[in-house]
Amino acid sequence: MKNTYLWLAQLVAGILVAVTLSIHMVWMHLDTILGALGIDIKEPTSWTSMLARSREIIWATLYIALLTFGLYHALYGLRNVIFELAKSPIARRVVTWTILTLGILALAWGTYVPIVLLRS
Amino acid sequence: MKQIQPRRKNSLGLIGWVWGGNYKIERYLYTLHRATGLGLLLFCLIHLSVTTFFRLQQSSWETAMAILHNPWFKLGEYLVVLAFAYHSLNGLRLIIQELGFGMGKPTPPVYPYRDSLRKNRRWSMALVGTAAIIALVFLYDFMSGG
Amino acid sequence: MKSNGSKDTTFKVQRYNPEKDTSPYFDIFVVPTTRGMTVLDALLYIKENLDNTLAFRTSCRMAICGSCGMLINHYPHLACHTQIEELRTKTVTIQPLPNLPVIKDLVVDLAPLFEKHKSVKPYIIRSDTAEMDNPSAEFAQSPEELENFLQFTYCIKCGICISACPTSATDELFLGPQALAQCYRYCADTRDHGEQERLPRVDSENGVWHCHLAGACSDACPKGVDPALAIQLLKRRLVVRATKIAKEKGPAPVVSPPTYIKPKLPFPEFTAGRNAATTEG
Repeated sequence: MKNTYLWLAQLVAGILVAVTLSIHMVWMHLDTILGALGIDIKEPTSWTSMLARSREIIWATLYIALLTFGLYHALYGLRNVIFELAKSPIARRVVTWTILTLGILALAWGTYVPIVLLRS
Repeated sequence: MKQIQPRRKNSLGLIGWVWGGNYKIERYLYTLHRATGLGLLLFCLIHLSVTTFFRLQQSSWETAMAILHNPWFKLGEYLVVLAFAYHSLNGLRLIIQELGFGMGKPTPPVYPYRDSLRKNRRWSMALVGTAAIIALVFLYDFMSGG
Repeated sequence: MKSNGSKDTTFKVQRYNPEKDTSPYFDIFVVPTTRGMTVLDALLYIKENLDNTLAFRTSCRMAICGSCGMLINHYPHLACHTQIEELRTKTVTIQPLPNLPVIKDLVVDLAPLFEKHKSVKPYIIRSDTAEMDNPSAEFAQSPEELENFLQFTYCIKCGICISACPTSATDELFLGPQALAQCYRYCADTRDHGEQERLPRVDSENGVWHCHLAGACSDACPKGVDPALAIQLLKRRLVVRATKIAKEKGPAPVVSPPTYIKPKLPFPEFTAGRNAATTEG
Protein backbone atom coordinates (compact mmCIF):
# COMPACT_ATOMS: atom_id res chain seq x y z
CA MET A 1 0.00 0.00 0.00
CA LYS A 2 2.84 2.38 0.86
CA ASN A 3 4.37 1.99 -2.58
CA THR A 4 1.01 2.77 -4.21
CA TYR A 5 0.76 6.04 -2.29
CA LEU A 6 4.35 6.99 -3.13
CA TRP A 7 3.67 6.33 -6.81
CA LEU A 8 0.42 8.31 -6.78
CA ALA A 9 2.26 11.20 -5.12
CA GLN A 10 4.79 10.99 -7.97
CA LEU A 11 1.99 11.47 -10.51
CA VAL A 12 0.45 14.40 -8.65
CA ALA A 13 3.87 16.00 -8.16
CA GLY A 14 4.59 15.46 -11.85
CA ILE A 15 1.49 17.36 -12.92
CA LEU A 16 2.18 20.20 -10.48
CA VAL A 17 5.82 20.44 -11.58
CA ALA A 18 4.74 20.55 -15.21
CA VAL A 19 2.45 23.50 -14.46
CA THR A 20 4.84 25.49 -12.25
CA LEU A 21 7.92 24.76 -14.33
CA SER A 22 6.09 25.77 -17.53
CA ILE A 23 5.27 29.13 -15.96
CA HIS A 24 8.88 29.49 -14.85
CA MET A 25 10.33 28.55 -18.25
CA VAL A 26 7.95 30.76 -20.18
CA TRP A 27 8.78 33.71 -17.90
CA MET A 28 12.53 33.12 -18.10
CA HIS A 29 12.95 32.33 -21.78
CA LEU A 30 10.09 33.64 -23.88
CA ASP A 31 10.64 37.38 -23.40
CA THR A 32 10.63 38.11 -27.13
CA ILE A 33 7.33 36.34 -27.80
CA LEU A 34 5.68 37.62 -24.65
CA GLY A 35 6.89 41.10 -25.50
CA ALA A 36 5.13 40.82 -28.86
CA LEU A 37 1.96 39.79 -27.02
CA GLY A 38 2.14 42.87 -24.83
CA ILE A 39 3.62 41.44 -21.65
CA ASP A 40 6.86 43.25 -20.97
CA ILE A 41 9.40 41.28 -18.97
CA LYS A 42 12.74 42.94 -19.73
CA GLU A 43 15.69 40.78 -18.73
CA PRO A 44 14.20 38.33 -16.20
CA THR A 45 17.62 37.41 -14.85
CA SER A 46 18.79 40.95 -14.13
CA TRP A 47 19.31 42.00 -10.52
CA THR A 48 16.45 44.50 -10.50
CA SER A 49 14.01 42.07 -12.03
CA MET A 50 14.98 39.30 -9.60
CA LEU A 51 14.66 41.69 -6.65
CA ALA A 52 11.21 42.81 -7.80
CA ARG A 53 10.02 39.21 -8.07
CA SER A 54 11.48 38.26 -4.71
CA ARG A 55 9.29 40.91 -3.04
CA GLU A 56 6.09 39.35 -4.36
CA ILE A 57 4.51 36.54 -2.41
CA ILE A 58 3.06 34.89 -5.50
CA TRP A 59 6.51 34.33 -6.99
CA ALA A 60 7.91 33.10 -3.69
CA THR A 61 5.01 30.63 -3.43
CA LEU A 62 5.55 29.50 -6.99
CA TYR A 63 9.26 28.89 -6.45
CA ILE A 64 8.77 27.04 -3.19
CA ALA A 65 6.01 24.90 -4.74
CA LEU A 66 8.19 24.18 -7.77
CA LEU A 67 11.09 23.18 -5.56
CA THR A 68 9.03 20.90 -3.30
CA PHE A 69 7.21 19.03 -6.03
CA GLY A 70 10.23 19.01 -8.31
CA LEU A 71 12.47 17.55 -5.64
CA TYR A 72 9.94 14.85 -4.73
CA HIS A 73 9.33 13.89 -8.34
CA ALA A 74 13.00 13.87 -9.32
CA LEU A 75 14.27 12.05 -6.23
CA TYR A 76 11.53 9.40 -6.37
CA GLY A 77 12.47 8.83 -10.02
CA LEU A 78 16.15 8.61 -9.11
CA ARG A 79 15.35 6.15 -6.31
CA ASN A 80 13.44 3.98 -8.79
CA VAL A 81 16.36 4.00 -11.23
CA ILE A 82 18.87 3.10 -8.50
CA PHE A 83 16.57 0.36 -7.16
CA GLU A 84 16.65 -1.31 -10.58
CA LEU A 85 20.41 -1.61 -10.18
CA ALA A 86 20.90 -2.14 -6.43
CA LYS A 87 18.86 -5.07 -5.27
CA SER A 88 19.99 -5.99 -1.75
CA PRO A 89 17.63 -4.78 1.02
CA ILE A 90 20.46 -3.09 2.97
CA ALA A 91 21.66 -1.16 -0.08
CA ARG A 92 18.10 -0.10 -0.82
CA ARG A 93 17.57 1.15 2.72
CA VAL A 94 20.83 3.12 2.59
CA VAL A 95 19.84 4.63 -0.76
CA THR A 96 16.37 5.60 0.51
CA TRP A 97 17.71 7.34 3.62
CA THR A 98 20.48 9.10 1.68
CA ILE A 99 18.03 10.41 -0.90
CA LEU A 100 15.59 11.49 1.81
CA THR A 101 18.33 13.37 3.69
CA LEU A 102 19.68 15.05 0.57
CA GLY A 103 16.16 15.98 -0.47
CA ILE A 104 15.33 17.59 2.86
CA LEU A 105 18.63 19.47 2.86
CA ALA A 106 18.08 20.73 -0.68
CA LEU A 107 14.53 21.77 0.20
CA ALA A 108 15.68 23.64 3.29
CA TRP A 109 18.45 25.36 1.35
CA GLY A 110 16.22 26.25 -1.55
CA THR A 111 13.32 27.62 0.50
CA TYR A 112 15.57 29.62 2.80
CA VAL A 113 16.46 32.13 0.09
CA PRO A 114 12.95 33.22 -1.06
CA ILE A 115 11.64 33.33 2.54
CA VAL A 116 14.53 35.51 3.70
CA LEU A 117 14.16 37.80 0.70
CA LEU A 118 10.41 38.07 1.22
CA ARG A 119 10.86 39.20 4.77
CA SER A 120 13.59 41.72 3.89
CA MET B 1 21.99 -36.09 -14.10
CA LYS B 2 24.88 -33.68 -13.69
CA GLN B 3 23.65 -30.19 -12.78
CA ILE B 4 25.79 -27.45 -14.25
CA GLN B 5 25.82 -24.58 -11.76
CA PRO B 6 25.94 -21.65 -11.84
CA ARG B 7 24.08 -20.93 -15.03
CA ARG B 8 25.66 -18.35 -17.28
CA LYS B 9 24.22 -14.88 -16.65
CA ASN B 10 22.63 -13.58 -19.80
CA SER B 11 21.10 -10.23 -18.76
CA LEU B 12 21.40 -7.31 -21.12
CA GLY B 13 22.38 -4.99 -18.26
CA LEU B 14 22.37 -1.21 -18.60
CA ILE B 15 22.65 -1.48 -22.40
CA GLY B 16 19.22 -3.12 -22.24
CA TRP B 17 17.72 0.20 -21.16
CA VAL B 18 19.07 1.96 -24.22
CA TRP B 19 18.73 -0.62 -26.99
CA GLY B 20 17.30 -4.06 -26.49
CA GLY B 21 16.58 -5.06 -30.07
CA ASN B 22 14.50 -4.04 -33.07
CA TYR B 23 11.50 -2.99 -30.98
CA LYS B 24 8.89 -0.43 -31.90
CA ILE B 25 9.20 3.24 -31.05
CA GLU B 26 7.28 3.20 -27.74
CA ARG B 27 10.09 1.24 -26.11
CA TYR B 28 12.54 4.00 -27.05
CA LEU B 29 10.17 6.69 -25.83
CA TYR B 30 10.77 5.01 -22.44
CA THR B 31 14.55 5.28 -22.88
CA LEU B 32 14.30 8.97 -23.81
CA HIS B 33 11.99 9.61 -20.86
CA ARG B 34 14.55 8.12 -18.49
CA ALA B 35 17.45 10.01 -20.10
CA THR B 36 15.62 13.37 -20.00
CA GLY B 37 14.55 12.73 -16.41
CA LEU B 38 18.09 12.11 -15.24
CA GLY B 39 19.34 15.09 -17.26
CA LEU B 40 16.73 17.37 -15.73
CA LEU B 41 17.62 16.14 -12.23
CA LEU B 42 21.27 16.96 -12.79
CA PHE B 43 20.40 20.39 -14.14
CA CYS B 44 18.01 21.01 -11.23
CA LEU B 45 20.75 20.39 -8.67
CA ILE B 46 23.23 22.66 -10.45
CA HIS B 47 20.56 25.33 -10.99
CA LEU B 48 19.61 25.28 -7.31
CA SER B 49 23.24 25.93 -6.31
CA VAL B 50 23.70 28.73 -8.87
CA THR B 51 20.48 30.63 -8.22
CA THR B 52 21.13 30.79 -4.49
CA PHE B 53 23.99 33.13 -5.42
CA PHE B 54 21.22 35.68 -5.43
CA ARG B 55 21.29 35.97 -1.66
CA LEU B 56 24.84 37.35 -1.95
CA GLN B 57 25.62 40.82 -3.26
CA GLN B 58 24.63 42.19 -6.61
CA SER B 59 28.17 41.98 -8.01
CA SER B 60 28.51 38.21 -7.46
CA TRP B 61 25.11 37.65 -9.04
CA GLU B 62 25.98 39.72 -12.07
CA THR B 63 29.31 37.93 -12.50
CA ALA B 64 27.50 34.60 -12.38
CA MET B 65 24.93 35.77 -14.93
CA ALA B 66 27.65 37.12 -17.21
CA ILE B 67 29.28 33.68 -17.27
CA LEU B 68 25.96 31.97 -17.92
CA HIS B 69 25.14 34.19 -20.86
CA ASN B 70 27.88 32.46 -22.82
CA PRO B 71 26.42 30.75 -25.98
CA TRP B 72 27.45 27.26 -24.82
CA PHE B 73 25.47 27.70 -21.61
CA LYS B 74 22.60 29.07 -23.65
CA LEU B 75 22.67 25.89 -25.74
CA GLY B 76 22.63 23.88 -22.51
CA GLU B 77 19.60 25.83 -21.33
CA TYR B 78 17.87 25.15 -24.64
CA LEU B 79 18.55 21.43 -24.25
CA VAL B 80 16.98 21.63 -20.80
CA VAL B 81 13.89 23.23 -22.34
CA LEU B 82 13.78 20.43 -24.95
CA ALA B 83 14.17 17.78 -22.28
CA PHE B 84 11.42 19.33 -20.18
CA ALA B 85 9.03 19.63 -23.13
CA TYR B 86 9.50 15.96 -24.03
CA HIS B 87 9.54 14.65 -20.45
CA SER B 88 6.39 16.52 -19.40
CA LEU B 89 4.34 15.56 -22.46
CA ASN B 90 5.46 11.94 -22.40
CA GLY B 91 4.87 11.96 -18.65
CA LEU B 92 1.33 13.14 -19.25
CA ARG B 93 0.82 10.23 -21.65
CA LEU B 94 2.28 7.83 -19.07
CA ILE B 95 0.01 9.16 -16.30
CA ILE B 96 -3.05 8.62 -18.47
CA GLN B 97 -2.02 5.19 -19.75
CA GLU B 98 -0.59 3.84 -16.49
CA LEU B 99 -3.90 4.54 -14.77
CA GLY B 100 -5.54 2.42 -17.45
CA PHE B 101 -7.32 5.19 -19.35
CA GLY B 102 -7.25 5.18 -23.11
CA MET B 103 -5.77 1.69 -23.27
CA GLY B 104 -8.97 0.03 -24.37
CA LYS B 105 -10.61 -3.10 -23.03
CA PRO B 106 -9.01 -6.54 -23.17
CA THR B 107 -10.16 -8.26 -26.37
CA PRO B 108 -9.42 -11.85 -27.38
CA PRO B 109 -6.35 -11.75 -29.64
CA VAL B 110 -6.96 -12.12 -33.35
CA TYR B 111 -3.92 -12.24 -35.66
CA PRO B 112 -2.30 -9.81 -36.66
CA TYR B 113 -2.07 -8.70 -33.03
CA ARG B 114 -2.25 -5.01 -32.25
CA ASP B 115 -1.41 -4.27 -28.64
CA SER B 116 -2.89 -1.32 -26.77
CA LEU B 117 0.22 0.85 -27.15
CA ARG B 118 0.26 0.29 -30.91
CA LYS B 119 -3.40 1.30 -31.06
CA ASN B 120 -2.56 4.55 -29.28
CA ARG B 121 0.40 5.38 -31.47
CA ARG B 122 -1.32 8.38 -33.06
CA TRP B 123 -1.69 10.00 -29.64
CA SER B 124 1.90 9.20 -28.62
CA MET B 125 3.17 10.69 -31.86
CA ALA B 126 0.88 13.71 -31.46
CA LEU B 127 2.44 14.35 -28.03
CA VAL B 128 5.97 14.02 -29.41
CA GLY B 129 4.95 16.38 -32.22
CA THR B 130 3.64 18.89 -29.69
CA ALA B 131 6.96 18.70 -27.84
CA ALA B 132 8.71 19.41 -31.15
CA ILE B 133 6.48 22.44 -31.76
CA ILE B 134 7.22 23.77 -28.27
CA ALA B 135 10.92 23.24 -28.99
CA LEU B 136 10.63 25.32 -32.16
CA VAL B 137 8.80 28.13 -30.33
CA PHE B 138 11.55 28.29 -27.72
CA LEU B 139 14.21 28.03 -30.43
CA TYR B 140 12.86 31.17 -32.06
CA ASP B 141 13.08 33.01 -28.78
CA PHE B 142 16.56 31.69 -27.99
CA MET B 143 17.85 32.70 -31.42
CA SER B 144 16.39 36.19 -31.11
CA GLY B 145 18.44 36.71 -27.96
CA GLY B 146 16.11 35.45 -25.23
CA MET C 1 18.18 -20.20 -56.56
CA LYS C 2 18.80 -23.90 -57.02
CA SER C 3 16.77 -26.15 -59.28
CA ASN C 4 14.66 -27.43 -56.38
CA GLY C 5 13.73 -23.83 -55.48
CA SER C 6 15.98 -23.65 -52.45
CA LYS C 7 18.60 -21.04 -51.72
CA ASP C 8 21.38 -21.03 -49.18
CA THR C 9 20.88 -18.96 -46.06
CA THR C 10 23.64 -18.40 -43.53
CA PHE C 11 22.81 -19.00 -39.89
CA LYS C 12 24.97 -17.48 -37.16
CA VAL C 13 24.11 -19.46 -34.06
CA GLN C 14 25.41 -18.61 -30.60
CA ARG C 15 27.08 -21.62 -28.99
CA TYR C 16 28.10 -22.17 -25.40
CA ASN C 17 28.97 -25.44 -23.72
CA PRO C 18 29.51 -24.86 -19.98
CA GLU C 19 31.70 -27.96 -19.73
CA LYS C 20 34.16 -26.74 -22.35
CA ASP C 21 33.74 -23.01 -23.05
CA THR C 22 34.40 -19.98 -20.86
CA SER C 23 32.35 -17.60 -23.00
CA PRO C 24 29.85 -17.88 -25.86
CA TYR C 25 30.90 -17.75 -29.52
CA PHE C 26 29.15 -17.90 -32.89
CA ASP C 27 29.05 -20.87 -35.26
CA ILE C 28 28.23 -20.34 -38.94
CA PHE C 29 26.02 -22.82 -40.77
CA VAL C 30 24.77 -22.71 -44.35
CA VAL C 31 21.32 -24.19 -44.73
CA PRO C 32 19.37 -24.72 -47.98
CA THR C 33 16.07 -22.93 -47.32
CA THR C 34 12.85 -22.93 -49.27
CA ARG C 35 9.72 -20.84 -49.05
CA GLY C 36 7.67 -21.89 -46.06
CA MET C 37 10.61 -23.05 -43.93
CA THR C 38 10.63 -21.79 -40.38
CA VAL C 39 13.72 -21.02 -38.32
CA LEU C 40 12.95 -24.18 -36.33
CA ASP C 41 13.10 -26.23 -39.53
CA ALA C 42 16.53 -24.76 -40.22
CA LEU C 43 17.72 -25.54 -36.67
CA LEU C 44 16.50 -29.12 -37.01
CA TYR C 45 18.33 -29.37 -40.36
CA ILE C 46 21.50 -28.12 -38.66
CA LYS C 47 21.09 -30.62 -35.83
CA GLU C 48 20.37 -33.53 -38.16
CA ASN C 49 22.91 -32.82 -40.89
CA LEU C 50 25.57 -30.35 -39.80
CA ASP C 51 26.15 -30.38 -36.04
CA ASN C 52 24.26 -32.72 -33.77
CA THR C 53 25.65 -31.09 -30.61
CA LEU C 54 23.47 -27.99 -31.10
CA ALA C 55 21.06 -27.73 -28.15
CA PHE C 56 17.67 -26.04 -28.35
CA ARG C 57 14.17 -26.66 -27.05
CA THR C 58 11.27 -27.55 -29.30
CA SER C 59 8.03 -29.42 -28.93
CA CYS C 60 4.76 -28.58 -30.64
CA ARG C 61 6.16 -26.69 -33.69
CA MET C 62 2.89 -24.74 -33.83
CA ALA C 63 3.36 -21.81 -31.39
CA ILE C 64 1.32 -23.24 -28.54
CA CYS C 65 3.82 -24.84 -26.16
CA GLY C 66 6.21 -21.88 -25.82
CA SER C 67 9.40 -23.99 -25.85
CA CYS C 68 11.30 -22.50 -28.80
CA GLY C 69 11.63 -18.85 -27.77
CA MET C 70 14.94 -17.39 -28.96
CA LEU C 71 16.46 -14.13 -30.14
CA ILE C 72 16.30 -14.16 -33.94
CA ASN C 73 17.92 -11.15 -35.66
CA HIS C 74 17.95 -9.28 -32.33
CA TYR C 75 14.23 -9.70 -31.66
CA PRO C 76 12.63 -12.45 -29.56
CA HIS C 77 10.52 -14.83 -31.60
CA LEU C 78 9.19 -18.35 -31.38
CA ALA C 79 11.43 -20.23 -33.83
CA CYS C 80 8.55 -22.40 -35.04
CA HIS C 81 6.44 -19.32 -35.73
CA THR C 82 9.04 -17.36 -37.73
CA GLN C 83 9.37 -17.88 -41.46
CA ILE C 84 12.92 -17.48 -42.74
CA GLU C 85 11.59 -15.46 -45.68
CA GLU C 86 9.83 -12.96 -43.41
CA LEU C 87 13.20 -12.01 -41.88
CA ARG C 88 14.38 -10.71 -45.28
CA THR C 89 18.09 -11.10 -44.53
CA LYS C 90 20.76 -13.32 -46.03
CA THR C 91 22.21 -14.03 -42.58
CA VAL C 92 20.03 -15.04 -39.69
CA THR C 93 21.52 -14.48 -36.21
CA ILE C 94 20.16 -16.75 -33.50
CA GLN C 95 20.91 -16.23 -29.81
CA PRO C 96 19.31 -17.51 -26.63
CA LEU C 97 16.63 -15.36 -24.95
CA PRO C 98 18.29 -12.56 -22.94
CA ASN C 99 17.54 -11.80 -19.27
CA LEU C 100 17.32 -15.53 -18.45
CA PRO C 101 20.38 -17.63 -17.49
CA VAL C 102 21.83 -19.82 -20.25
CA ILE C 103 22.25 -23.57 -19.71
CA LYS C 104 23.74 -24.51 -23.08
CA ASP C 105 23.68 -23.02 -26.61
CA LEU C 106 20.10 -21.79 -27.14
CA VAL C 107 18.61 -23.40 -24.01
CA VAL C 108 17.80 -20.94 -21.19
CA ASP C 109 16.86 -21.68 -17.61
CA LEU C 110 13.19 -20.88 -17.19
CA ALA C 111 13.20 -21.52 -13.43
CA PRO C 112 13.16 -17.76 -12.60
CA LEU C 113 10.05 -17.38 -14.75
CA PHE C 114 8.27 -20.27 -13.04
CA GLU C 115 9.29 -19.13 -9.54
CA LYS C 116 7.97 -15.61 -10.14
CA HIS C 117 4.79 -17.00 -11.68
CA LYS C 118 4.21 -19.26 -8.67
CA SER C 119 4.81 -16.39 -6.26
CA VAL C 120 1.77 -14.43 -7.53
CA LYS C 121 -0.51 -17.39 -6.68
CA PRO C 122 -1.89 -18.01 -10.17
CA TYR C 123 -4.98 -19.98 -9.14
CA ILE C 124 -8.51 -19.21 -7.98
CA ILE C 125 -8.55 -18.36 -4.26
CA ARG C 126 -11.88 -18.37 -2.49
CA SER C 127 -13.01 -18.63 1.10
CA ASP C 128 -15.67 -21.31 0.45
CA THR C 129 -13.19 -24.20 0.35
CA ALA C 130 -15.96 -26.80 0.80
CA GLU C 131 -17.52 -25.72 -2.47
CA MET C 132 -14.10 -25.69 -4.16
CA ASP C 133 -13.35 -29.25 -3.04
CA ASN C 134 -16.81 -30.67 -3.76
CA PRO C 135 -18.44 -28.44 -6.34
CA SER C 136 -22.21 -28.53 -6.38
CA ALA C 137 -22.67 -26.25 -9.41
CA GLU C 138 -20.72 -23.86 -11.61
CA PHE C 139 -19.78 -20.30 -10.57
CA ALA C 140 -21.86 -17.56 -12.17
CA GLN C 141 -19.77 -15.58 -14.66
CA SER C 142 -21.27 -13.69 -17.58
CA PRO C 143 -19.58 -13.52 -21.01
CA GLU C 144 -18.85 -9.81 -20.39
CA GLU C 145 -17.06 -10.65 -17.15
CA LEU C 146 -15.05 -13.29 -19.00
CA GLU C 147 -14.03 -10.81 -21.71
CA ASN C 148 -12.42 -8.61 -19.03
CA PHE C 149 -9.56 -11.08 -18.57
CA LEU C 150 -9.85 -13.66 -21.37
CA GLN C 151 -7.05 -12.09 -23.44
CA PHE C 152 -4.55 -12.70 -20.63
CA THR C 153 -5.39 -16.38 -20.36
CA TYR C 154 -3.70 -17.06 -23.70
CA CYS C 155 -0.22 -16.81 -22.14
CA ILE C 156 1.95 -19.81 -23.09
CA LYS C 157 4.77 -18.97 -20.61
CA CYS C 158 7.41 -18.77 -23.33
CA GLY C 159 9.48 -16.09 -21.54
CA ILE C 160 9.71 -13.78 -24.56
CA CYS C 161 8.13 -10.86 -22.68
CA ILE C 162 10.76 -11.12 -19.93
CA SER C 163 13.48 -10.95 -22.58
CA ALA C 164 11.91 -7.87 -24.10
CA CYS C 165 11.38 -5.98 -20.82
CA PRO C 166 14.02 -3.25 -20.23
CA THR C 167 13.51 -3.42 -16.44
CA SER C 168 14.26 -7.15 -16.46
CA ALA C 169 17.55 -6.34 -18.19
CA THR C 170 19.01 -5.01 -14.94
CA ASP C 171 16.60 -6.07 -12.20
CA GLU C 172 16.54 -9.85 -11.76
CA LEU C 173 14.16 -9.48 -8.82
CA PHE C 174 11.51 -7.72 -10.92
CA LEU C 175 8.46 -9.97 -11.23
CA GLY C 176 8.33 -9.49 -14.96
CA PRO C 177 5.46 -8.92 -17.36
CA GLN C 178 4.41 -12.57 -17.40
CA ALA C 179 3.84 -12.90 -13.64
CA LEU C 180 2.23 -9.47 -13.34
CA ALA C 181 -0.14 -10.11 -16.24
CA GLN C 182 -1.13 -13.46 -14.74
CA CYS C 183 -1.67 -11.77 -11.36
CA TYR C 184 -4.10 -9.41 -13.07
CA ARG C 185 -5.75 -12.33 -14.88
CA TYR C 186 -6.65 -13.88 -11.53
CA CYS C 187 -7.54 -10.64 -9.76
CA ALA C 188 -9.90 -9.67 -12.59
CA ASP C 189 -11.51 -13.12 -12.66
CA THR C 190 -14.85 -12.66 -10.90
CA ARG C 191 -14.68 -16.17 -9.48
CA ASP C 192 -11.55 -15.22 -7.51
CA HIS C 193 -11.39 -13.52 -4.11
CA GLY C 194 -7.65 -13.65 -3.47
CA GLU C 195 -6.51 -10.14 -4.44
CA GLN C 196 -5.60 -9.38 -0.81
CA GLU C 197 -3.26 -12.38 -0.75
CA ARG C 198 -1.49 -11.43 -3.95
CA LEU C 199 -1.06 -7.75 -3.11
CA PRO C 200 2.01 -7.88 -0.83
CA ARG C 201 3.96 -9.56 -3.61
CA VAL C 202 2.82 -7.23 -6.34
CA ASP C 203 2.57 -3.90 -4.50
CA SER C 204 6.25 -4.08 -3.60
CA GLU C 205 9.41 -2.51 -4.90
CA ASN C 206 10.09 -5.47 -7.18
CA GLY C 207 6.48 -5.64 -8.26
CA VAL C 208 4.31 -3.60 -10.50
CA TRP C 209 5.84 -0.18 -9.70
CA HIS C 210 9.03 -0.97 -11.62
CA CYS C 211 7.05 -1.20 -14.84
CA HIS C 212 7.39 2.04 -16.80
CA LEU C 213 5.25 1.19 -19.83
CA ALA C 214 7.99 0.62 -22.38
CA GLY C 215 5.53 -1.79 -24.01
CA ALA C 216 8.20 -4.06 -25.48
CA CYS C 217 6.55 -7.06 -23.81
CA SER C 218 3.29 -6.55 -25.67
CA ASP C 219 5.18 -5.81 -28.86
CA ALA C 220 7.10 -9.09 -28.70
CA CYS C 221 4.38 -11.40 -27.33
CA PRO C 222 3.80 -14.14 -29.92
CA LYS C 223 0.22 -14.80 -28.78
CA GLY C 224 -1.09 -11.24 -28.60
CA VAL C 225 -1.62 -11.44 -24.83
CA ASP C 226 -0.72 -7.73 -24.33
CA PRO C 227 0.83 -8.03 -20.85
CA ALA C 228 1.43 -4.26 -20.77
CA LEU C 229 -2.34 -3.71 -20.76
CA ALA C 230 -2.76 -6.21 -17.93
CA ILE C 231 -0.07 -4.49 -15.86
CA GLN C 232 -1.58 -1.02 -16.29
CA LEU C 233 -5.01 -2.39 -15.38
CA LEU C 234 -3.39 -3.99 -12.33
CA LYS C 235 -1.93 -0.60 -11.35
CA ARG C 236 -5.39 0.87 -11.68
CA ARG C 237 -6.76 -1.87 -9.42
CA LEU C 238 -4.11 -1.14 -6.80
CA VAL C 239 -4.82 2.60 -6.94
CA VAL C 240 -8.58 2.03 -6.61
CA ARG C 241 -7.95 -0.24 -3.65
CA ALA C 242 -5.54 2.20 -1.97
CA THR C 243 -7.78 5.24 -2.44
CA LYS C 244 -10.96 3.26 -1.73
CA ILE C 245 -12.70 4.87 -4.69
CA ALA C 246 -14.89 1.87 -5.52
CA LYS C 247 -16.50 -0.67 -3.22
CA GLU C 248 -15.02 -4.12 -3.17
CA LYS C 249 -17.19 -6.75 -4.82
CA GLY C 250 -17.49 -10.26 -3.48
CA PRO C 251 -16.53 -13.27 -5.58
CA ALA C 252 -18.93 -14.81 -8.09
CA PRO C 253 -21.53 -16.92 -6.31
CA VAL C 254 -22.42 -20.45 -7.20
CA VAL C 255 -25.18 -20.59 -9.77
CA SER C 256 -28.40 -21.12 -7.88
CA PRO C 257 -30.54 -24.13 -8.82
CA PRO C 258 -33.18 -23.35 -11.44
CA THR C 259 -36.38 -21.93 -9.96
CA TYR C 260 -38.52 -22.74 -12.96
CA ILE C 261 -38.17 -25.70 -15.25
CA LYS C 262 -39.82 -25.13 -18.59
CA PRO C 263 -42.38 -27.90 -19.01
CA LYS C 264 -41.61 -30.35 -21.78
CA LEU C 265 -43.88 -30.23 -24.77
CA PRO C 266 -45.93 -33.40 -25.19
CA PHE C 267 -44.90 -35.76 -27.99
CA PRO C 268 -46.72 -35.10 -31.29
CA GLU C 269 -49.79 -37.20 -32.10
CA PHE C 270 -48.13 -39.27 -34.81
CA THR C 271 -45.59 -40.68 -32.33
CA ALA C 272 -48.33 -41.82 -29.94
CA GLY C 273 -48.20 -45.44 -31.13
CA ARG C 274 -44.38 -45.63 -30.88
CA ASN C 275 -44.44 -44.03 -27.45
CA ALA C 276 -47.04 -46.48 -26.21
CA ALA C 277 -44.94 -49.38 -27.54
CA THR C 278 -41.76 -48.27 -25.66
CA THR C 279 -43.56 -47.54 -22.42
CA GLU C 280 -45.23 -50.94 -22.50
CA GLY C 281 -41.97 -52.74 -23.12
